[in-house]
Amino acid sequence: MNTKTLFYIFKRVLLAIVTIWIVITITFFVMHAVPGGPFLGEKAISAEAQAALEAKYGLDKPLWEQYITYLTDIVTKFNFGPSLKQRGRQVIDIIMDGMKTSAKLGLIAAVSAAVVGIVLGAVAALRRNTVLDKIIMVITTAFVSMPSFIMGSLLLIIFSVKLGWVPANGASEGGLILPIITLGLYPMAYITRLTRSSMLDVLGQDYIRTARAKGVSGGKIIFGHALKNSLIPVITYFGPMLAFIVTGSMVVEQIFAVPGIGRQFVSSITNRDYMMIMGTTIFLASLIVIMNLITDILYKVVDPRIEFD
Amino acid sequence: MNMKKLMALLLTLAMCLIGLTGIASAETAGSKLAICLASEPDTLDPALNSAVDGATMVSHLFSGLAKWSQDENGNLIIAPDAAEELTEGVVNEDGTVTYTYTLRDGVNWSDGQAVTMHDFEFAWKRAASTELGADYGYMFEQVKGYPDDLAVTAVDDKTLEVTLNNIVAYWDELLAFPTYFPVREDVVSDEAWATDPSTYISNGPYTMTGWEHNSVITLTKNPYYHDADKVTMETLECYLSDDENNMLANFQNGSWQMIDAVPTSEIKLLESEYPTEYFVVGQIGTYYVCWNINEEILPEGCELTGAEAEAARAEIRNAIGLLLDRNYICEEIGQAGQVPASSFVAMGMTDFDGKEFYQNAGHSDEYVGYFNTAADAYESNWAEGVEILKKYYDFDESTQMFTNFPSLTYIYNTDAGHQAIGEYLQGALAGVGITLQLTNQEWATFLNTRKDGDYSIARNGWLADYNDPISFLDMWITNSGNNDIQYGRGAHAELAMYDLDLTPYGYDIKVEDGTWAETYDVLISTIKGCTDTEARYAMMHIAEDMLMSTGCIVPLYYYTDIYMIDDAVQGFFTNPLGYKYFMYTTIAE
Repeated sequence: MNTKTLFYIFKRVLLAIVTIWIVITITFFVMHAVPGGPFLGEKAISAEAQAALEAKYGLDKPLWEQYITYLTDIVTKFNFGPSLKQRGRQVIDIIMDGMKTSAKLGLIAAVSAAVVGIVLGAVAALRRNTVLDKIIMVITTAFVSMPSFIMGSLLLIIFSVKLGWVPANGASEGGLILPIITLGLYPMAYITRLTRSSMLDVLGQDYIRTARAKGVSGGKIIFGHALKNSLIPVITYFGPMLAFIVTGSMVVEQIFAVPGIGRQFVSSITNRDYMMIMGTTIFLASLIVIMNLITDILYKVVDPRIEFD
Repeated sequence: MNMKKLMALLLTLAMCLIGLTGIASAETAGSKLAICLASEPDTLDPALNSAVDGATMVSHLFSGLAKWSQDENGNLIIAPDAAEELTEGVVNEDGTVTYTYTLRDGVNWSDGQAVTMHDFEFAWKRAASTELGADYGYMFEQVKGYPDDLAVTAVDDKTLEVTLNNIVAYWDELLAFPTYFPVREDVVSDEAWATDPSTYISNGPYTMTGWEHNSVITLTKNPYYHDADKVTMETLECYLSDDENNMLANFQNGSWQMIDAVPTSEIKLLESEYPTEYFVVGQIGTYYVCWNINEEILPEGCELTGAEAEAARAEIRNAIGLLLDRNYICEEIGQAGQVPASSFVAMGMTDFDGKEFYQNAGHSDEYVGYFNTAADAYESNWAEGVEILKKYYDFDESTQMFTNFPSLTYIYNTDAGHQAIGEYLQGALAGVGITLQLTNQEWATFLNTRKDGDYSIARNGWLADYNDPISFLDMWITNSGNNDIQYGRGAHAELAMYDLDLTPYGYDIKVEDGTWAETYDVLISTIKGCTDTEARYAMMHIAEDMLMSTGCIVPLYYYTDIYMIDDAVQGFFTNPLGYKYFMYTTIAE
C-alpha cells in the first residue's frame, strides 16, 4: 500500500466522521421535533412523575445542552446512554444483543447470496441463450420481484406449518434457516443478474478475444480475466447490501420471530425512545459508511487501474 | 481445478453455511410448557410494569400478600399468598382504615433469604413514589399519604400495617396486583436488576433462569416458594413475539402450547377448526369513540350560546351515537366475540346488588344501558337520531340528507382494525349527509394529539385495572391525565350547567347549574371518600349518567380476550384483567 492510498483512506475516514456527525445532528433535532414523548402512554402518569423522569434522563434541559451532553458522552466515554423504554438496559447492550443474531443471519445470507449468485450469473452468461440461462433468468426475476413478506410467509406455511421440517420461530434451534433463505433470495437473484450482464459485457471485450486467439485455456480466461473483471458492479452492490442485511430486516424478523436488531429501529421510533433512536441510527450510519469505504478499497484490489484521488 | 469442480465446491460451501444454523427440534417435555404472550416486555420490574403480558410473567415470579386463585369449583377468588390471611380493616376515628397483615412462615426470596414485611414496605413506597414515575404508581392512590409519604409500616419482620383513606371495596384485589408485589432494597438498587436472570431475585412460584432478549424468557419452579408443593409445571418458556401469524404457525405446528393472540383474519376459521382450543373470554374494557367537548358542531348561523349551545351539542352527539350499528361492528369488523356496548363502564364490573354494574346502568326498563343495542332496535334508534338532528340542521327530505352539518375529522392510531371501524363510521354518517374525514396517526403522535385535545373525534379504549367502576370514572375529572375529552377545560370550564344532589346519600352537597369542576370532580372525590358501599355504587351510577349525558363518550363494544391453548394442557386459568396462570397446569399424555 503506498502513501497515496494511505492518505486516501485517512481522508475518507475523516469524511466518514463528518458524515456521521451530520447524521447525529439531523436525527437528534428532527426526533425531538416530532410530537409525543417517551413517557407518554395509554394511561397517563402524573405531571410530577413525568417531570421526575425527565429530570432523571436530562430531558428537562434545553435541547442544545442535551445535544452537547450526548455528543460529549459518545466521544469521551463511548456511552450511548440508557434506553428510556426498556428500563434498566443500556442502548449499547440492546444493540449488541440484537446484532449477535442479525449479524449471523445477515452474514450467512449475504455470503450465500454472493456465492450462489456469482456462480449462477457466470453460468448464465457462459451458457447464454440456452435453456439453462432462461431458467436462471426466470427464477431470479421472480425472486427479485417478490417482496420478502410474501416469500417469508410462503416458506413459513410450507416448511413450518404444513411439512413441519423447521421451527417457525427464530429462537429455536434451526429457526434461522428460513429467515436466511428469505433474506438471501433477493440479493442472490440480484447478484446473479448483475454478474450475468457484467460478464457478458466483459466476454465481448477485445482482451478476451486476444487471450482466446493466443490460445489461453477456457478456464483461465473465465476465472483469470472475465469473472474477476465482471465483479466490480457486484462489489459495488455487495458492500452497502451487507451493511443493510446484517443490521436486520424488520419484516423478516417479524415473520419468523427472530430476535434481531431490525425491529429495534422501528420500535424505538414508535416508543420515542430517544436514546435508542440515536443509538440505532449512529450504528447503521457507521456501518454503511465503513462498508462503502471497504468497497472502494476493494475496487483497487480487483482492478489496479483504479486510482484513488 | 476445472470449472465443474469449482462450482461444486462453491455450492457445497453455501450449503454448509446454511447448515451451520442447525437442525430443527420441536419437542416439548411433559413438565415444560412453551407459551407466547407478546413481544419483549419493556420491563419485568413489578413496580414499573404496566403491560398485561408483563403482569402475567411477574405474577409467576412474585408472591404478594394476596393472589388470584381458583376455589374447588373453579371459581376465581382472591386468596392469601404471602399473608397468613386477608384481614378486615379497622376504621379509625378520622374515617381512615388500617389493615394489619401477618407474613406466613417460610416465605423466601429465590436466593434463600427470608422475605420480611420491611421488603413490602420498601416495595410499596418505591412503587408509589413520584421519583420512580411508574405507570401504575396511582394504584396506591387509596393509601394514605400517596404518593410520597405512604402510610405503610413494617412493625416488625412479620407484621405490616397500612392505612387507607377510606374503605376500598377492591383492596384485596389490589394486594394481588403486580405493583403491590415485594422487592428487596439491595436487589433493586442495581437499576438493571430486572433485565438479567442473574440479578433477578423474586419470591414467587418461579424464578427467572433465562432471558434471551427478544427471544425467550425461561421461568423455572422456585424451590424456595412457600407453596412450591402445589406448583405442578416445572418450566415455562415464554417466547417473545408479537407477530400473530408467527404465533399461530408455532401453535399449529405444536411448538407452542399457548398463544395470547391470533390474526383477526383467521378468527372465523380457527373457531371452527379448533373448537376446543380457541377461547374468547371477557375482559373489563370498553372500545369507544370520544368527542372533544369543545369542538363546535352546531351549524353556521346557530344562535345558541354558552350552556344552551352545550346542551344542544350534547343532544347532537348522543343522536349521532344512535346512528351506529354496534352489532355490525362486532360481527363483521371485530369478529372476536365482542359485545355491543351501551354504557361506558364495561361488562365484568360487579354492582352492589351482585349483578353486573352495566346491567343496572341507564334508566330504561326495556333494555340494558343508555340505549338499546338489540339488533332489531337499530332502525328505531336510527330514526330517533335523525329526528333529533333535524331540530338543529337542515334536512333535505328528497335525498334524506342533512345539508349543513359541519365536516368532521376522526383520528385513530394506525391499525387495520381501527381503520375498518373508522371506515364504518364514515359510511354510516355519510348515509345522512355528514362528512367524516379519516386521519390516522402513528401511536405516540396519536396519544399526544388526543391528550392535548387537538382533535374533534377520536378512537379510544379503556381497560380497567381492578374490578371497580371507579377505574372508569375517575379518569374524567378535570385534571386527570386521561381526560382526553377535555371535560372542564377550555371553554367547557366556564359552562355552569350541571346539577348534583348528594343529599339522599347523607352528604351536604347540592349544586344547581355548576361547572364540571363543581359537580363531577366533587362527585368523584365524594365517591372516593365514601364508606357506605351502597351509596357509593349509587353515586357511581350518577357519575356515569353525567358522562353519558354529555354524549362525548360513544361506546361501541366491550373488549374480549382471545387466546388458544392446547387441549392437553389442564389446570390453566385466566382472570378478568387478562392475566394468565400456568403454575398449576399439567400436560395430559
